Amino acid sequence: MRKLKLAPYILVLPVALLSLLFIAGIINGLIQSFGIIPSLGLTVPTLQYYIEIFRRPELLASIGITLYISIVSSLAAAVIGVLLCAILVTTGMAKGKIMQIVKVPILIPHTVVALFVIMIFSQSGLLARVLFELGLISSQESFPSLLYTSHGMGIIFAYIWKEVPFVAFFLVSVMANISTTLGEAAENLGASKWKTFINITLPLCMPAIKNAFLIVFAYSLGAYELPFLLGATAPKTLPIQAFIEYTHPDLLHRPYAMALNGILFFISFVIVLLYFKVLQQDVGKNGGLHE
Amino acid sequence: MNNKSIFLKLLIMTFIFSVLSPLVVIAVWSISGRWSWPRILPESLSLRGVNELFGGYSGAMQVLGSSIVLSLIVALFAVIIGTMTARALVLYDFHGKQLIKFGTILPIIIPGTVFAMGVHVLLIKMGLADTAAGVIIVHLICALPYVIKIMTDITAAFGNRLEEQAGVLGATPRQIMTNVTLPSLMPGLISSASMAYIMSFSQYFLTLIIGGGNVKTFSVMMVPYLQSGDRTIAAAYSMVFVCSSLIVFVVFEKAVKKIGKDESGYFFA
Repeated sequence: MRKLKLAPYILVLPVALLSLLFIAGIINGLIQSFGIIPSLGLTVPTLQYYIEIFRRPELLASIGITLYISIVSSLAAAVIGVLLCAILVTTGMAKGKIMQIVKVPILIPHTVVALFVIMIFSQSGLLARVLFELGLISSQESFPSLLYTSHGMGIIFAYIWKEVPFVAFFLVSVMANISTTLGEAAENLGASKWKTFINITLPLCMPAIKNAFLIVFAYSLGAYELPFLLGATAPKTLPIQAFIEYTHPDLLHRPYAMALNGILFFISFVIVLLYFKVLQQDVGKNGGLHE
Repeated sequence: MNNKSIFLKLLIMTFIFSVLSPLVVIAVWSISGRWSWPRILPESLSLRGVNELFGGYSGAMQVLGSSIVLSLIVALFAVIIGTMTARALVLYDFHGKQLIKFGTILPIIIPGTVFAMGVHVLLIKMGLADTAAGVIIVHLICALPYVIKIMTDITAAFGNRLEEQAGVLGATPRQIMTNVTLPSLMPGLISSASMAYIMSFSQYFLTLIIGGGNVKTFSVMMVPYLQSGDRTIAAAYSMVFVCSSLIVFVVFEKAVKKIGKDESGYFFA
């Protein structure tokens, strides 16, 4: 009996240790963002680094572009991903070979996706060549420049390519489950496939959809690879800017890096709060399931 | 009705095309020599990329090998820890359960760069920066939320009723483990191991910062070529990256399935 009571604690011990390391890492970074790095002789807490960041217009632009890229790419990925998943589930393809294709973008790293985007969407890329061949554009320059620009189209394309299948993959088992249990019941009672999907499957999948959105959103917020390979020289996204400060030869720049991270952390903290709000709402909704 | 299904088929076709066509483009680039504007097909083919990777002088194959081993270690630990955590969260009530749950979602909600730079300083103090162990630990932290999610779902769906029933019928704990628990968890084990492997194998930034150039993974080795503008070499590296993951997955899936079916084998014990 004693053993049974201890069991869960033993089971969670490794994950608890890793979580502690994770949290300690975050707290450590935050402490440094307030200018406390004893090894560099900085011991007085200050908000100076945050204040300086908000005074530098290019850093405000950094915050803007980071949020813009994350929001646009994650919204697009969530909507297209749900549609894709819905098609796969309702047509019964979710059990077929096509799931292997859905998995492909998940196993390709962002760095390689950046290469795809360069090869296809750059001004000398394949798409421009095809359009030229068709006589739709007259030269390389008349193809819109999509990469290395402040509207971040290249980065957004890359995220969408990577994340649509992720969203679909993340949802497919939940959606298939609901649609085979409750969905089939509804169909037996005479509802059409799509009606069943919209009225039953989709609402019940909503918590999972929100989860998927938050995962891809938070990922793109703090990811380094794509903005590094496809981003504009200015404005840079927050992770890029933070890493530049972090690797600055003058170690006294480190608090700036950590303050930039602090801002990213704050944004994600707000998301976490929303996340729990959202989840609680769903709990409330499920309490009164009969609509 | 017919129109609708044609429309759906078209959509699916578009999806398949957009997933697969970039791979074809990369494959062609990896063996192309000259391919100047505005040609749609390369003017000449070249084995420059193949030689760079397999010629022996770049060391790419050694790095690929050690990289695969490192990611397999991450996958193994992730699956073990993930399964343990999932069992605790689904089958038990204990103090701090909510806290553990919260801790397991943090790494997907807190941006990666914030974690990377913060934990780097800590790992330096612990003597784990610039070591493979340090890299494995941070990769594990990134992969675990996904693994725990997959394992929690499957553990919750399966529950422990069958295990209890087997126990009532006189099965030993080991028999329950190999004949009831593992076979039912097998799909989850395969997909979470694959997930953890690929999370680790594709990690660039985290490996760069924590490994500090000392721990060279294939992903880290590849990026300078992607940046350099030498598309042939970049494409060749990408092809090897993708193909090696595919091979690992296939081998892995087959091996795990075999062990799962083989009643005398113990996947964990």
